[in-house]
Amino acid sequence: MLMHVIHMGHDVYKANDKIAEKNRKKLDKHKVFSVNVMGAIGSGKTTLIEEAIRHLKEKYRIAVVAGDVIAEMDSSRFRKLDVPTIPVNTGKECHLDARLVEKALDEIDLNNTDLLLIENVGNLICPVDFKLGEHLRVVIVSVTEGDDIILKHPMIFKTAELAIINKVDIAHAVDVDAEKMREDILSLNPKVPVILTSKHDWESLETWIGFIELGVKEAQKK
Amino acid sequence: MHEFSIACEIFDQVINTAKANRATEVKKVTLQMGRLAHTNPEQLSFCFNTLAEGSIAENADFVVEMVAPSLECECGYEGEIDEKQIRESDTLTSELLAYVAAMDCPICGKQANITGGRELVIKSIEIETEEDQTADSNNK
Repeated sequence: MLMHVIHMGHDVYKANDKIAEKNRKKLDKHKVFSVNVMGAIGSGKTTLIEEAIRHLKEKYRIAVVAGDVIAEMDSSRFRKLDVPTIPVNTGKECHLDARLVEKALDEIDLNNTDLLLIENVGNLICPVDFKLGEHLRVVIVSVTEGDDIILKHPMIFKTAELAIINKVDIAHAVDVDAEKMREDILSLNPKVPVILTSKHDWESLETWIGFIELGVKEAQKK
Repeated sequence: MHEFSIACEIFDQVINTAKANRATEVKKVTLQMGRLAHTNPEQLSFCFNTLAEGSIAENADFVVEMVAPSLECECGYEGEIDEKQIRESDTLTSELLAYVAAMDCPICGKQANITGGRELVIKSIEIETEEDQTADSNNK
């Protein structure tokens, strides 16, 4: 019997990052702007994506990847808006990863797509470590999760490129200070833009949609 | 919880490397886990041991070495975070939050970029073979 030490140096997350880079290159090649929408369960991810689709679909060709434990439920909401939608069932998994998105991209006509909206699984923890190849990482929380939700999940806010605090119209009813939530996000990530939104306040939705449109325009210039 | 799928990936990599090196038994698996990675070492170890039952890695020691986060700042600083700042963050209860709170550059105080501490690396395995005929001692 002989003993050997084999050095491996295999990074589990890097393996995912490599596929994410491939996805990103593919999207860039087709000038598709992609958004990874992460956020808490019930924070309004699907609703905010629906609003964006409603107001952008006349101008741009949109596709959606809907990731969930049972993806068909959200997918049927997006299909009602007449946009190509790929449901990605993660089964027991708590996040989308680059490999799942890679497969979904094969089902999308990228030549006829300007904007890809990817809805991640409702979770503020696991999606953080799995890049998908997206151009914009968005995190959505709502006031109903309580105003300590942000400091409990620092890494997702630290790595986000846009943060949204949703349902601010009911903040008073759930005894939450949305401004404290904004300050908490900025304490973790001083440079991240923070938007306070409500489904019933068009101006706030316009800011969110404007962000996406800016990205689409940039991608098309390249 | 995604420890199970990560454990599956680790198990496959370990077994493939062990077999490529004609192992009869895997004695030890050493991992390096960044403190900022959202992975729980105890759960990962439990999942790995469950998967390894009946395999050549059944009795392997599963060792997780924790890696401190490292930073890169505009001012030119490159290095680890300020551990003192973590110890002083007495109002912060969660370890992860304490680490994130200490992400300011220890030299200029600005918020710096994270360059390390989010990884999960299978560093090495210790194997036993019948005779000295490893196929590739640096198998990647």
